[in-house]
Amino acid sequence: MSKIYNPKMSRRESLKRIGTMATVVMVGGVPVACDPVEPETSTASPTPTGGHWPGLELEAITGPTYGTDPIMTSPEAPWPLTLTDVQRDLAAVLSDMICPADERGPAATDVGVPDVIDEWMSAPYSRQQSDRVQIINGLQWLDDEAELRFGSNFVAATEDQRIAIIEDIAYRAQYDVPEFELPARFFSRMRSLVFGAYFTTPEGIEDIGYVGNVAIAGEYPGPTSEAMEHIREVAESLDLPPITEYVNQ
Amino acid sequence: MASFEDFEYQVIVVGSGAGGGMAAHVLTEAGVKVLMLEAGRDYDPITETPMFQQNHEAPLRGTSTSEKNFGYYDATVDGGWRVPGEPYSEAPDSRFMWWRARMLGGRTNHWGRLVPRFTPADFKPYSTDGVGTDWPVDYDEISPWYDKCEELIGVCGDNPGLDDTPSSSDGVLLPPPKPRVMELLLKSACESLGIDAVPMRRAILTEAKDDRQACFWATPCGRGCSIGAAFQSTTSLLPWANNTGNLKIVTDAMVREVHLDDEGNASGVTFVNKTSGEDVRIDGEHIILAASACETARLLLNSKSEAFPNGLANSSGQVGRNLTDSLGAGISGYIPALRDRPRYNEDGHSGNHLYIPWWDREGQKNGSLNFSRGYHFEVGARFSSPGMGVAGRVDGYGKAAKDDVRSNYGTGIGLSLRGEMLVSDDCYCEIDDEVTDQWGIPVLKFHWKWSEQEINQVAHGLEWGKKIIEAMGGIVNNPDRAAEEAIEEGGQIIHEVGTTRMGEDPATSVCNEWGQTWDVENLYVMDGGVFVSNPHKNCTITILTLAMRNATRLAEQLTA
Repeated sequence: MSKIYNPKMSRRESLKRIGTMATVVMVGGVPVACDPVEPETSTASPTPTGGHWPGLELEAITGPTYGTDPIMTSPEAPWPLTLTDVQRDLAAVLSDMICPADERGPAATDVGVPDVIDEWMSAPYSRQQSDRVQIINGLQWLDDEAELRFGSNFVAATEDQRIAIIEDIAYRAQYDVPEFELPARFFSRMRSLVFGAYFTTPEGIEDIGYVGNVAIAGEYPGPTSEAMEHIREVAESLDLPPITEYVNQ
Repeated sequence: MASFEDFEYQVIVVGSGAGGGMAAHVLTEAGVKVLMLEAGRDYDPITETPMFQQNHEAPLRGTSTSEKNFGYYDATVDGGWRVPGEPYSEAPDSRFMWWRARMLGGRTNHWGRLVPRFTPADFKPYSTDGVGTDWPVDYDEISPWYDKCEELIGVCGDNPGLDDTPSSSDGVLLPPPKPRVMELLLKSACESLGIDAVPMRRAILTEAKDDRQACFWATPCGRGCSIGAAFQSTTSLLPWANNTGNLKIVTDAMVREVHLDDEGNASGVTFVNKTSGEDVRIDGEHIILAASACETARLLLNSKSEAFPNGLANSSGQVGRNLTDSLGAGISGYIPALRDRPRYNEDGHSGNHLYIPWWDREGQKNGSLNFSRGYHFEVGARFSSPGMGVAGRVDGYGKAAKDDVRSNYGTGIGLSLRGEMLVSDDCYCEIDDEVTDQWGIPVLKFHWKWSEQEINQVAHGLEWGKKIIEAMGGIVNNPDRAAEEAIEEGGQIIHEVGTTRMGEDPATSVCNEWGQTWDVENLYVMDGGVFVSNPHKNCTITILTLAMRNATRLAEQLTA
């Protein structure tokens, strides 16, 4: 298949890709603190009632980690990327459905979100490896579902056809629909990763309006007058005592 | 005088964090020669701290992994909840989390820098409520040392004059930063509930001090601070001590044992040179242990002799006992009224500018509470650098979902309960006879069990946390979570203390009020091990202050 998504991070291009499909399911060893997103993994049986789920088992990733003493001033992810071209194209199409361009910011693929997903899923840590099992299966489910519904893979389907599928799995309420529970949980995880990846890019940071990480001389400026005015109105609307700037006693 | 590699010294200090760093500073300033042994590697915050690096530059956007438990950029070297090659064990049905760092400066490189003072009642818990044991020192005696210590390290904050917030002397504190809008709303909500939210004291320079720069209000303190504005021993105490010419630091030196001579004095230590793997035995006239409460207890318990078959300085049997951590639990929510609130720079000093001190000492006195002591709430509520969790509970997809992430940004609030657990016979560490680390040193086994006291306190905190967030017009996440579920693991707050407690009676304590062991005259403990109780106020400022006071006395004796 032709490649429709070109990686944005050139440092990745030289990294060797390793095979994805194999026999063993990776299970994390130690319980680890991860990103604060709630787990979207399922406790349900691996085959949804009345639905289908690929149930692909993946070879454990045992590639190099960054260790317990990385050089933090020049960060590097040492593990090879593992998504196949087909998976990356699928992830790219899905990323842009989740996070399209609009008047306030670019689309996910414009800022390299699929590269981040690939780095994430290829990482030899327990949380990422469990994400990998869920997401590889989820991507395959999209293809299978498109095949069943439209006789086409997901990427080759029309936009309306893709939306028809996504509309069935994009909402948490659909965890309760037996045939869509696993795909819906996959989608939730994917949404979290896509927005996480997008809003951490320089473009995403600007989009969301984070204006910190700049050195300021003198005292901390504190809230702007606009922000103070707003919080005063909020306090008033909540019937709270008036906001006063804290004064030293 | 003892010597090592042509350096003559009077005192060996084991550990280079808060206690060890302060002891070395005080002693070397007084002209005493000090040999410092640090189990971790050499570390230079000036060149190694990732200042201004952003999440997108880090693997996995800086997310926590099993190798970097507090995120990629956390300062901790070769440590966290696991140290490679250095396991510990837990008794059946016990869970204990032990954070360690293997680096010069130890855990002072990444700590929260929250520095509330203990109150007079905190030093006299038994006299106050009839539970536990009084400290052999009181507030009046320690208060001038708090002043000296705060002035030395640099503390921003103020003196709100509440009974949970003892005041510093005039001119000691640096000005606190202005609160952010969420903290102002919190303060207003607290006012409606009859409680206070006041500036959090932090060991952050809001004005330049000696050769350290003032905070420039950017980059999280947990990474370490290359400009010295956020206090850590590696940008202050250790370089100052080095400048006197009276200090020699040996890194990668993991102390295995403290030796005893025939007269009953400590005669030196053996450490593992981690680079060569060889044991090195050195002499010492005075030995200060400041390896952290649990490492110091481990070292004493592993130093067995005919005179002390159960571990050095352990005739009381108290070494490793009385282990406490701060009680921890979190409650969070979001404030819909703050969706799309005006953007501005809320980095500040990267910690909470306001916090909620314990407010109900009256309730304790009149018996209306079903637990002893109290807690405070730390506050997390600001526009922070987006991370992988930024989407939160957003549902759906496409532009609507993207807009939702934008609107929700900066509407979340987290309250972290930090409470006082009671000293308990159920919580202690001992040597595991069956497990050794990669250097062949027997490891610690932890025993832990929360009591009703802790569960009740967390239940109270969850109820109040809910009230506070709801008063802000907020929606609480997990409003029905039970205290048993919300309570964090023992050790998880990283305030473990008490394993070599001081006291007035050699039969029930390990050290006297000067941190000097009752059993061995020239052996001192200057880390959190000496704590008699663990008031809810974060422990480091009191570790620093006691080390300053006790090292000053030792210096006076050695230079007299």
